[in-house]
Amino acid sequence: MALADILPRTRRLLPAGLPVSVALSLFWLAAMLICAALADLLRPYPITRMDLAARLAPPLTPHHWLGTDELGRDVLSRLIQSVRVSLVIAFGATILSAVFGTTLGFLAAKARGWVEHAVVMLADFQAALPFLIMALAVLAFFGSSMPLLVGLMGFYGWERYARIARGLAISAGAQGYAAAVVQLGASPARVYLRHILPNVASTLIVSMTLTFPEIVLMESGLSFLGLGVQPPETSLGNMVGFGRDYLTTAPWIMLAPAVVITLTTLSISLAGDWLRDRLDPTIR
Amino acid sequence: MLRFVALRLARALATVIAVMTFAFVVLRLSGDPAQVMLGPDVPQEAVEAFRRSWGLDAPLWQQYLAYLGAIFRGDFGVSMRDHSPALALVLERVPATLQLTIPALILKLGLGIPAGVYAALHRDSLIDRGVILLAVAGFTIPSFVLGLVLVLIFAVTLGVLPSGGSGTWVHGILPTLTISIGGIGVLARFSRSAMIEVMGQPYIRTAAAKGVKWRNVVRGHALPNAAVPIVTLVGFMVGSLIAGAVVVETIFSWPGIGRLLIVSVSNRDLAVVQCILLLIAAVMVVSNLVVDLLYGALDPRLRAQPTT
Amino acid sequence: MSRPLLLEARDLVRIYRSRRGLTGAVTEVRAVDEVSLKLRAGETLGIVGESGSGKSTLGRMLLGLDPAQGGTVLFEGMPLPRFGTPIWRRLRSRMQMVWQDPLSALDRRLTVAAQIREPLDIHRIGTPEERPARTASLMTAVGLRADQGGRYPHELSGGQRQRVVIARALATNPALLVCDEPVSALDVSIQAQVVNLLRDLQGQKGLGMVFISHDLKVVRNLADRVAVMYLGRIVEEGPAEQIFAEPRHPYTQALVSSIPVPGRPLDARILLQGEPPNPAARPPGCAFHPRCPLAQGLCRTRVPALRVPEPGRAVACHVTAGAQSPVAA
Repeated sequence: MALADILPRTRRLLPAGLPVSVALSLFWLAAMLICAALADLLRPYPITRMDLAARLAPPLTPHHWLGTDELGRDVLSRLIQSVRVSLVIAFGATILSAVFGTTLGFLAAKARGWVEHAVVMLADFQAALPFLIMALAVLAFFGSSMPLLVGLMGFYGWERYARIARGLAISAGAQGYAAAVVQLGASPARVYLRHILPNVASTLIVSMTLTFPEIVLMESGLSFLGLGVQPPETSLGNMVGFGRDYLTTAPWIMLAPAVVITLTTLSISLAGDWLRDRLDPTIR
Repeated sequence: MLRFVALRLARALATVIAVMTFAFVVLRLSGDPAQVMLGPDVPQEAVEAFRRSWGLDAPLWQQYLAYLGAIFRGDFGVSMRDHSPALALVLERVPATLQLTIPALILKLGLGIPAGVYAALHRDSLIDRGVILLAVAGFTIPSFVLGLVLVLIFAVTLGVLPSGGSGTWVHGILPTLTISIGGIGVLARFSRSAMIEVMGQPYIRTAAAKGVKWRNVVRGHALPNAAVPIVTLVGFMVGSLIAGAVVVETIFSWPGIGRLLIVSVSNRDLAVVQCILLLIAAVMVVSNLVVDLLYGALDPRLRAQPTT
Repeated sequence: MSRPLLLEARDLVRIYRSRRGLTGAVTEVRAVDEVSLKLRAGETLGIVGESGSGKSTLGRMLLGLDPAQGGTVLFEGMPLPRFGTPIWRRLRSRMQMVWQDPLSALDRRLTVAAQIREPLDIHRIGTPEERPARTASLMTAVGLRADQGGRYPHELSGGQRQRVVIARALATNPALLVCDEPVSALDVSIQAQVVNLLRDLQGQKGLGMVFISHDLKVVRNLADRVAVMYLGRIVEEGPAEQIFAEPRHPYTQALVSSIPVPGRPLDARILLQGEPPNPAARPPGCAFHPRCPLAQGLCRTRVPALRVPEPGRAVACHVTAGAQSPVAA
């Protein structure tokens, strides 16, 4: 059956208004989430199990469907674990950055004056150094550990949330519902958490879909440089980094995680674009 | 206008000082350079002597003031590895990095903006689709993957280009391509949407309706207005160019600033890392300043903004 | 006038500073300029003026939302606490506001019942179990059906939304209600209904009410006394029926004459000439003199003080107020 015959039929199976590319992206992301959640069950072998008889086995070798690395470790098992590690870091960091940025943004909107100046200065400072450079300095000198990595990545993109949250909170307070609730006698916590936060949430979620793939890329870049996730733990970037030495003899070690990174960031971007069109009140 | 420039200058200076403070705090507090440099088996007296000679035994604030003072005198300290001045060590590597980044920037601007403008004027053409595809690829494929794939194709499989090292201009081809490909796509897509947005504005339709030649409408009205957002993005690109250089120089063993940074970072060579951080921050601040001023020149409204 | 004094403003001043252009010259706008007024419990005071007259700023200052640069506001004899302090927040249960644009004054993500209930939650009025019933009775009181409580603001009409805002403002049984142009965003056909509702509620609950409007007609229906503002100052004040029957200030005269009256020819209107008032460029002397048909030499140089031509009335005009004694503060 030709591809052209299959496509129209699958299109009919999709919910109305869902483009095929977005459906595929969502499918891939769901697969990645399952991978991350059930990594322990899905992994055929422990990630450090060495099969010295089958070192550098090419893909499609029986028992090692994606081949093995220089120590005979199963690439598929390591890939599944890497997906989990990279996604956990990226999720944790995205949430941290959103919470941190939104809090600072609200703080700036509430306090104005010097607090606002300080937040703006901090954002300027963030813009003055490429994040990778700053992260490199911090990681190299503190040594890399999982909590530090998540915490550090959690500073990525905070200034965007801060800017959005501050702008929206100020405009809400200027004459809108927030001013009305203040006038009812509500405490600042009530004004910000019960009223302003739910109203700006959709815009913040939209920015999260923008930051998430960038954090995935940032983590894999750092791990590739040997400064992110450390062995024996593995992540997508770290696999590419170690696979690089076998580029000529065993390219699959590096290509398998590279493909996963690219497909994942691509899927998030496509799905995020689609979500943005539906959620973003500024477009509607 | 004077006030505008002064305000931006003050902010730039404040940012540089903030970066200096950041570098100092992080790098000084994070570990004991004496231990790192001398190793674990060195007698205590040797460690003390090392600290004294590097000024590491003074209180932190004294170290900080001494550090700021030294920087303003142009003294960035001495590399702990080979005892040569850090600034000289860093400046020595600058030309190599510029050999990659300047051609890459020219490629990005020279291909990205025209492709984007062309795509906007010929929507749904082959070039338009190519621009969108390249932009998505540029956004989703990490540069280290792109670099390794290029090596796999051109060096390992085809054997036409060297996989790493430096010396001839041929060595520079793959690194430059790796830095610029994604940026070309991103810039093209951005120019495309900036252009499309401007083309939809009433004043463009008015100009066209008045009978102004289409070519002149594009040149006289659309391009200058689309230039404002594009210039901003170019300012941001300087940062991504530097970050890209760090990764790419590592992949291709290119003897530039980026590689020096990675090596110094793994050796905990404080003086060199600080020097590189400050250099990068200075470049970023200056480019942001230039963008701000260009922005003011391109968009008269920004100059007259009330400041309260 | 035996009713107790509810609200008193003494010499209120509010200045907005804005910096123009790159030279950094600071312009001062005196939005409210030495305004004094009194409101007794259960009384309605109408404040009338064009846009830019400072009437909305004055309303916000009376509630302590905008700080005064000069003068004081006394509520039940006590100076208003500073904005945002816990005491100020607690005082909100005694003084409330009805906003001009009900749609933007309501949170579009909460049902209207949740929003009417909110003041009860904030000020811990009644037990949580009693609050839904209270909310329902508030809705009935403002003419909403109880089943509309589950709706969201955008699902209601403009008039219904303003009823929600009124119900929310009255939830804590306040003693003072400040209404800032409460009907100007509504259709003309709805305006009268909302004005009548406010008048009825005011009467039932014995509210002290400050009703701010640019429209003299609206104020006429419900105000006991009226104050007319022009560029930040009160130019005339008095009992509503006297202001309408016999306006003293030339500005008030022009406003009153512009209200169509059956049987009166339209050409009897006094048409105001000249530029509409600009708060950033206040004319010297009497701010109204460039548009005043009666302006004399003195009007261009000296600001007229409020004078009392007869008990209960005050007029700030060199020409029509006569030489009576200045009003006592």
